Formats: sequence, C-alpha cells, structure tokens
Amino acid sequence: MKRRGLFLAAALVILPVVDGNAYHLDVLTTAWLYALLALGLNLIVGFVGLLNLGYAAFFAIGAYTYALANLHAGVPFWLGLPLAAVVAGAAGVLLGLPAIRARGDYLAIVTLGFGEIVRLVVTNLERWTGGPNGLMGIANPTLGRYDFGVASAPYYWLTLALVGLVIWVSQRLRRSRIGRAWAAIREDELAAQCMGIDTLRLKLLAHGCGAAVAGLAGCVFAAKQGAITPDSFDFVVSVTVLAMVILGGLGNPLGAVVGAVVLTVAPELLREFAAYRMLLFGATLLVIMRVRPQGLLGTYGAPAR
Amino acid sequence: MSWQQVLLQQLVNGLTIGAVYALIALGYTMVYGILQLINFAHGEVFMLGAYVGVAALALLGPSVSGLPAGLAMAAAAMAGCAALGWGIERLAYRPLRRSPKLTALITAIGVSFLLQNAVMLGFGARDRRVPNPLPAVRWAIGGVAVTGMQVVIIVTAALMLVLLHRFIRRTRLGQAMLATAQDPVAARLLGIPVDTVIAWTFVIGSALAGLGGVLFGLYYSTINFHDGYLTGLKAFTAAVLGGIGNLPGAALGGVLLGLLEGLSAGYLSSQWKNAVAFLVLVLLLMFRPRGLMGEQVADRA
Amino acid sequence: MAARRWWAIGLAVWLAGCGPHEPVVKIGFVTPLTGDQASHGTDMLHGAELAIAQALDEGPVLPGYRLELVPLDDQHNPAQAVAMAKKLVADPAVLAVVGHLNSSCTKPASAIYHKARLLHVNPVSSNPDISRQGFDTLFRICATDDLQGPAGARFAWQTLGARRVFIIDDVTTYGRGLANEFEMAAKGLGFLVLGHEGITQGEKDFTPLLTKVKALGPDLIYFAGIFPEAATLIKQRHDLQISATFLAGDGVYEPTLITLASPEAAEGIYVTALGADIRTVPTAKAFVAAFEQKYGRLGAYSSYAYEATRLAVRAIRTAGRADRAAVLAAMRATSEYAGILGTHHFDTKGDTTLRTIGIFTVQHGQFHFVEVVDSV
Repeated sequence: MKRRGLFLAAALVILPVVDGNAYHLDVLTTAWLYALLALGLNLIVGFVGLLNLGYAAFFAIGAYTYALANLHAGVPFWLGLPLAAVVAGAAGVLLGLPAIRARGDYLAIVTLGFGEIVRLVVTNLERWTGGPNGLMGIANPTLGRYDFGVASAPYYWLTLALVGLVIWVSQRLRRSRIGRAWAAIREDELAAQCMGIDTLRLKLLAHGCGAAVAGLAGCVFAAKQGAITPDSFDFVVSVTVLAMVILGGLGNPLGAVVGAVVLTVAPELLREFAAYRMLLFGATLLVIMRVRPQGLLGTYGAPAR
Repeated sequence: MSWQQVLLQQLVNGLTIGAVYALIALGYTMVYGILQLINFAHGEVFMLGAYVGVAALALLGPSVSGLPAGLAMAAAAMAGCAALGWGIERLAYRPLRRSPKLTALITAIGVSFLLQNAVMLGFGARDRRVPNPLPAVRWAIGGVAVTGMQVVIIVTAALMLVLLHRFIRRTRLGQAMLATAQDPVAARLLGIPVDTVIAWTFVIGSALAGLGGVLFGLYYSTINFHDGYLTGLKAFTAAVLGGIGNLPGAALGGVLLGLLEGLSAGYLSSQWKNAVAFLVLVLLLMFRPRGLMGEQVADRA
Repeated sequence: MAARRWWAIGLAVWLAGCGPHEPVVKIGFVTPLTGDQASHGTDMLHGAELAIAQALDEGPVLPGYRLELVPLDDQHNPAQAVAMAKKLVADPAVLAVVGHLNSSCTKPASAIYHKARLLHVNPVSSNPDISRQGFDTLFRICATDDLQGPAGARFAWQTLGARRVFIIDDVTTYGRGLANEFEMAAKGLGFLVLGHEGITQGEKDFTPLLTKVKALGPDLIYFAGIFPEAATLIKQRHDLQISATFLAGDGVYEPTLITLASPEAAEGIYVTALGADIRTVPTAKAFVAAFEQKYGRLGAYSSYAYEATRLAVRAIRTAGRADRAAVLAAMRATSEYAGILGTHHFDTKGDTTLRTIGIFTVQHGQFHFVEVVDSV
C-alpha cells in the first residue's frame, strides 16, 4: 500500500516534465488548491464534526491578506504565506468563538451567515478592498530571480507540495492526543466533556487550524491569479469544498484530496456541458447522499492508532 | 417631504417586502417544526412561483387581463409550487428520514442547486420580465406614495395568515400538524398518519411560498433564478426571528425583518442592507435561537 | 489492473491535447457571453464575426495561414477575464486580442496582454484609467468617461436646466469612475450635489434609497451603471412619483431597459452614449446594412467590436508574418485609420482622437437620438 502511494506521489511530481501542456497543469493546480481547502475543512467538519457552510470566508481572508500586504507594503509571497495563514487562523478562532454557541444545523446557518458577511464586507469596503472590482497587480511568487509569472509548472509543484505538507500534518494530528480528543468530541460531546476534555478550546483549535489552511490556499490563489474579486469567495465555493470532503469521505484526508480532484477534473472533462455544471453538481450531491453517504474512501479513514 | 412622511414611506416600503418574507417564512417554520430540517430548497420554490405565474399569464394570452388574470397567476403559482414541494419531500427528503442531519442538509442544498440551475438553463441567466396584468394604480396619501401592488401584497399576505390560522385551529389536518410538530412519536401512536401530515405540510408551505414568489415578481417586475437564494435566507432569518416552529412568529418575524431592512437601507446605507440582515441572523442564532415567540430550543447537538 | 487503466487514460488525455497541426493564426475575442451582459457581448461577437468574414472575402489575411476568431466568455467577471486572458496569451497562434466589454474586466486583462507583448484592441471600455497604465500594447477606439461624465453634466446644465443633482453608481470600475467624473464636472458648473451613493449590482429594492433621494428634492438623478439596475431604479422612481429627470451613462443604453422598466416609467429619461447614432454616421452605412441583413437588430456596441476587429486584422495583414512583435509594431505604426466610425488617430496613450458623446432619450417606448455633445 505504501509503495503504491510513493509511486503515485512520484508520478505526480514528474508529471509536468512528462506532459508540459499548460492547460492540463492548470486544471490540476486548481485541483490541488481545492484539495488544500478540502483538507482544511476536513479538520473542522470531518475530524471534529462541526458543520461549516461558510468556509470560503477564510479563503477570502487569506487571499486579501496577502494581496493587501503585497500591494501596500511590498510583502513578498513567501512571507505572505505564513502571514495569510496566521491572519486566517486568527479569524477562524474569532469567528469560531461565538459560533460554537450554536448547535447542530443552527451552527451550519451561523457559519453560512458569517461567510456571507465576510463576503459582503469585502465587497462594500471599496476603499480598502477594491469593492466588487477587487484588487489587481498582486505579485507572483519569485524564487531568487526566477519569477513564477504565468508559467504553469511552478504553481503545480507549489500547490502539490503544500497538499503533501497538509496531508502529513493532518495525519499526525489525527494520531495525536489532540486528534483523539477531537474524535471523542465528534462521537459524543457530552461524554467527552465529562471525561475532562476542554471541548471549547479544542473546537476553537480545529477552527483555527482549518481556517489557517484556507489562508494558505488563499495566498497561493491571489499570487497565482494576480487579481482577486469577491465573487471568487461565495457560498458556492463553500458548498463545493464541503461536497469534496463528503464525496471523498468525511474525516479522511486522502478522501478530501480525491474528492477535490474528482470535482475539479470532472467539470473540465465535461467542458461542452459547462452550462449544466451546477445542475450536475447538485445532482451529484443528491446521489452521493442517497447511494454512498460515507464517501468514496469511507469516513474517518484508518482508525487512530 | 417632512421627516414624518419619509418615515411613513420607508415603513410602507418595508412592510410590503416584509409581507413577502412572512409568506415564505411560514413554509420554513412549518417544515422545521415537524422535521427539524432547514429546507434549503424552499427559496427556490418561492422563485419558481414567479416563473410559473409568468408562464401562466403567457398561456392565457392577451384576452385575459386585470383581476382575473392576476388571480389566475396566483392560483397557478400556488398549485405549481404545491406540487413541487410535494415532489421534493417525497423524492428527496422522505428516503432520508432516518439518516443523520448532515445528510438531509446536504441533500437540501443539492436540491436547491439543482432547481436554481434548471431554471437558469430553462429561462436564461438574465432577469425575466414579469408582466403585471393588474392596473397600475398609484396614490399619494399625505405625501406618501403608495402603489396598488403594495396594497395587494399586504392584504393578500394578511388574508393568507388568517386563513392558515383558522385552518390549523379548526380542521383535523391542521390539528394533526400541530400534534406531529409537538411529538411525532405520540402522534403516530394516536393513529395520525404522520407521512401524510408531513406531505401536507410541504404542500401548504410551498403553496404559500409560490404565492410570495408571484407577488414578489409582480412587485419588482423582474425575476431572476438567483433571487431565491438571498430572499430564502432572509425569510429563514424571519422565521428564526419570530421563533422557529411558531406560525404567528414567522409572520411577525417577516414583517419586522422587512421593516428593519427598509429602515437600515434608508437611514444608514443601501449598500449594507444585506449585511445587516445576515448580522441579525447570526446574532439571533448565537444568542437567542428561540426568537421572539418560540419556546426554549432543545439541545440538538 | 487499475494501474494500467490509469496509464491508458492518462495517455489518451495527453494525446487528445495534441491536435492536428495546420498553420492557423487567431484573434482572441473576449466579452461576456453569459450572464446579465450577454446580450451586449453577443452583439459584439456578431460584429467581430462580420469583420472577419468580410476580411476573408477580401483575400487571405496572412498567406499560408488560416485566420480564426477565438470567442471567449469573461462572464462580466474580472477573475474570469484574467483567466481567459492567460489562456489566450498561452496560445502562440493568437496574434491579437479584441476585448473586453466592461472596464472592470479590461483593466486587469490588459496587464496580462501587456506582459505578453500581445496587441490588445479595446472596443468600448470607457474607464480613463485603462489607458493611463502606460501599456503600449493597448489601443482603444471609443470615447472615455473623462469625456462622458462632463458631457452629461454640461447637457444637464444647459439643455435640461437642472441645478440640483443626486448621483448613484454601482460601485464598479466603470460606474464609480464615470460617476466621479460627472460629479467633478457638475460641481465645476455650479450644480448642488445633494448626495452620491452606491448600489450593489443584482439588488432589487431601491425604494429606501429613492425615498431618501425624493426627500432631498433633486431635479436630476444621475446614474452610472448598467441597464438591469437602471431599469429597477427607473421603475421604482416612477412608483414613488419622483419628478426629477433621470440621466444615465452608456451602460444603460440598451433597448431591453425599456421593456424591463416599462415604457411608461422610462418615458423621458436621457442617456449619454459613446458616439452618435450609428445610423446617422455616413461611413457606417454599408456596415449597418450588412449587419442587419445577417443578424437582424444592431446592438449598441456591435459597430465598435467590428471596428476593433478590423483594426486587428489590418495589423496582422500589414505585419505580413505570424509574429506578435511584428503585429504590434504594425499597429503602432498606424497613424491614421479610416473606419466605419470615422477617421481614427491614436494618441500616445493608445486612445483614439475620434471621440464623440451622443445623447439619447426615450419616447413612446423607444430610444431616440437627441444630439451630439462633441469632444472638447
């Protein structure tokens, strides 16, 4: 199993050398970006069981943090990455604090509300965020004197590396005490509290970590696009990421990646049916829920050791 | 205009949209009261009401106009949406009755997307014009401009509320709905056909939403496939504001939210109108989930 | 075996990417083809297609090569515009780009084209900042808002006799830019500006805002935005019985506006447009006839798209080879171009010197040409 995994990883890494098609690489890069988001949301919804319909807000915060830092203070990309992660993570904790008070489906709606509020704030504060027109002229990443520019391969490797990193961190977390405590909260929060687990702190931690990952993704997105607008961070994005997590298997990091790849590549392959994309997407949600609600790779993956 | 006239005008405007929110909120609250399900697709049912109304009017042709045409539009919308609501419950939600909450919620979102985009594909992404067969009447009452359509909406909503109230109180089905909402297990033990009651709940809620949709379309003269999402969320806010599961609460919530929206847009800023609505939603759910008139919400982890 | 199947799929996908090799040169054409601006975008595409068809009738543009128009959809979304720009730039067969429609899309995309040294001819984005970015790849054939705004203000002051104005815009690059230009000019003329507020695109209920406006008692409402919101504003202004005249920018000049707002409510509104009525321009007669024969009704911007595409084709023809630098140089060397809109000269920023602003009004459910407010 492990050898097949290494083989696959190696194949993915050398792919840009074998197939230089910019379009293919671009699609896969988008898939890896969504995989990052799915991995982050997986921490919140999968590991701890906290419903979240407003995840795109943290994606937006990460993107705008880097964009503003770069445009106003010349902050380079590699500094922007941790900056975006920290700011988004802090937002995750802040927005998580009051949200935790709500329960069940109400939590879902609160997070949806937060997601929309962040988007509306970004859209209306034109003086700082550029309003509906967004921000442009954001710098691409540079490595020494090499500017990533509009080439596809560098972004492919960058996002792939980040995905690998976050998967590794996710797995480590899951097997740690924190991960076990999260699982306990997910299974039965009351019992977990009785066992002495500080549920509030752990829930906020999950929120913060998940949001930080989205921040990373946001920074990469802003740097790659060079221009960002508020409608890249709407409710549809939040639902898409959630669908990816569920499709792959709730709580399963590898599942999140698989879900992301499937839901990114499939619409591209069906390009002629682009108009039907959202329709098929809605239908997919329905079908998964009826036929295989535990997702492609099964929920929660291997049991925590 | 004096400040009193401006205030009255804003109140009239807010009350009108509030009436529409109330009609939609009723459906949300009824379904949540019985199933504890946030029917995400309800907003789309509302939106489709306007489209069905337009189609009905087109079918009738130019020979019919005025009040009969308007009534036909409303009837068609209510019937069409009732059928749609029944279909959604039967096909999408009923099979998942015993599944975890997340499953049902995701399914609801899936249905919502499906409907939104089916409409977009069928009718186009651009605003659809909603022709108004009713005579365009405008009055100026003490310096406040009131249109006939506004009066129609407010009166219709009020009428529906009264009818619904009497239906719940006076008919067996209505009582059955109340009982099922209170305690589904006990209701079943008493011989109440719970499945049928649930189906009827969807039918009635959807019919009201469809009516709201037609009125909305006639009032703004345009309808767009995306209108269901935002208005649906606002109506849900209204339902929570009034106390989820509480019918008069939903109506009250609708009116209050409409007024709040209008006043904040008029006196603060038009741009931030929607943010205010969402803020109300979020604060309510966090600090007073039972709303104004609801009972204590049980812990639903 | 699962692994072998994946290899097969991968190979198939890769092979599908390599198409048949035949010499083709392309002109990219990006406008909103879906979404609320789709009617404009499609009208423009028709203009471009007509230009290509006529050019090919006159003989091969580049001997040995086939000329293709690549229509792409930016969905009136700046991020999508950037994505489409990158797509065009990555295709070495693309020698020139015509686009976009909305200033919010043209502005970021123009940076992409500039970086790739790709000729970019812009038909109708009127925001002045677009040509102030210093891009030598950008050429624009329409008037700009630093003319349209003041022209509207002058018309309102002199012809309409208005003195108190409330300004509304839709907070986009185009809308906010145009509104600011109008406001500056209005203040300079002596207008009392009662307020300047923004609305969100897609919003339906402006009655609270309009009630506020009514209370302030303007004799003119100026709107800088596009026709869907304008229609709602006009209708609700009518319902609220606001007597102020309504003047708007060129984004509102679209017949669908009258249908959406109702002819009764739209009666007597004014709009400024980027140019006179194309039917009154003598050099455009042949174009109007050809277009209407092939596509029916002429769109507001079809003539601009046609003109811009003809310019791109001419640049390629003059360059004589499939090389972006040559095409760009050929365009830069164009000192004068006699097109259907008139005779263009391009200034150092890439803007045309042929700039007129026209005024239209709605009477009996139709747009009617009023007059030309010439460039200063």
